[in-house]
Amino acid sequence: MHGRGGGRRGPGHRAGVGLMIRIPLYLAVAQWALLAALGVLVVVMFRQLGRLLSGSGRPASLGPAVGSQAGALGYARPGDDTVRRLSPGDGQPALVAFVDPTCPSCEQLVGVLDEAMAAGDLAGLRVLLLISDPPSYLQISDAFRSTRLEVGRPADREGLSSYRVTATPLLVAIDGAGVVRAAGPVTRAAEVRGFARSCLPEVPESTMAVIPAASARGRQPDESQKARRET
Amino acid sequence: MALMVLGAKAGLAVLLLTAGGAKLADLSGFAATMRLFVPDFATQPVLRAAALGIALGELAVGAASLSSPGLGWVNAAVLAICCGFLAVSAVGYAWHRDRPCRCFGAMSKRTFNAAGLGRSALLAACAGLAEMPVRPSLIQLGVAGRLALLAGAVLVAGAACTAAAAVAAGRDTAPGWA
Repeated sequence: MHGRGGGRRGPGHRAGVGLMIRIPLYLAVAQWALLAALGVLVVVMFRQLGRLLSGSGRPASLGPAVGSQAGALGYARPGDDTVRRLSPGDGQPALVAFVDPTCPSCEQLVGVLDEAMAAGDLAGLRVLLLISDPPSYLQISDAFRSTRLEVGRPADREGLSSYRVTATPLLVAIDGAGVVRAAGPVTRAAEVRGFARSCLPEVPESTMAVIPAASARGRQPDESQKARRET
Repeated sequence: MALMVLGAKAGLAVLLLTAGGAKLADLSGFAATMRLFVPDFATQPVLRAAALGIALGELAVGAASLSSPGLGWVNAAVLAICCGFLAVSAVGYAWHRDRPCRCFGAMSKRTFNAAGLGRSALLAACAGLAEMPVRPSLIQLGVAGRLALLAGAVLVAGAACTAAAAVAAGRDTAPGWA
């Protein structure tokens, strides 16, 4: 170190020459490595900020277009290799949720769907949870592990492409004719109920008016009437 | 040659700090990846605890390696971690190909593939290179130097955690659907 030598030559000499510090090579290298890492991280954050500010943080084409015909899907339940079919247009309205156990928002949606099903809000609807993660992933999420809804994994990519699942969660409401009535990244109970209502058939006012109260009391309400009452 | 050895040493330390910080922001996601490599009876709390342990371990070894380059056991620990990365990449490539590895939490979309295996092999080679002896004067740090590097380590780890959280908040996608 040059500074130490300066000490032996007296204060006058030190003031004239100045103090020279030699930095170990490792310190210089490590500083550059830290600087490079910080630079990369700053770029990542600014890119993300730019995406969020410009509104392109989420893909614009998320989910199938409302009013379009929903495509048929083949899927298999976890632990079962049998390929089952979701065939929109078979007369039964359906809510299809594209979710993954590793996505916290998806866990929220699954919980909300479970609660809505338990409360009877989804009666008359077929509810299907489709995951892309391996079946073993179901175990890592309490919501997915405890759900009583049907869970499946797409068996082919052909039908899947028409749903444009570029992000999760994605909920798609399909009416009995196979037409997409609503699609979007919903997680709240009110939104889920809105999706359910959108794909259930409308009941004409006159139909509801002619049902005698006494006879209606003695039987289970039709699902569509139930959904209508909630509106 | 000394420059390469020191570069490998510092680069790996910073990499561990970045990876550890990013994993801290997405423990659930990393626990999901770990699920692929552990027996079925491992519960979610256990997986999360293990994910937290790995992230903190990476941070600790990274900080120690950065601020105390002369410690032999730290170099050995870095080499062991890099060999672990290589083993996980190989198993992932063999049995869980194209599943997200979440090596950098939500910050990276990288999956278990041949390129990832190659990167892991490169890291292990760098860790082997960092084991090579260099002149002690090149790595002799004073207290002020060590503290400065530790401060830098905290800064990088914090920035990685923040960046990973920001990316996760804006991009909640699942690669398997694309």
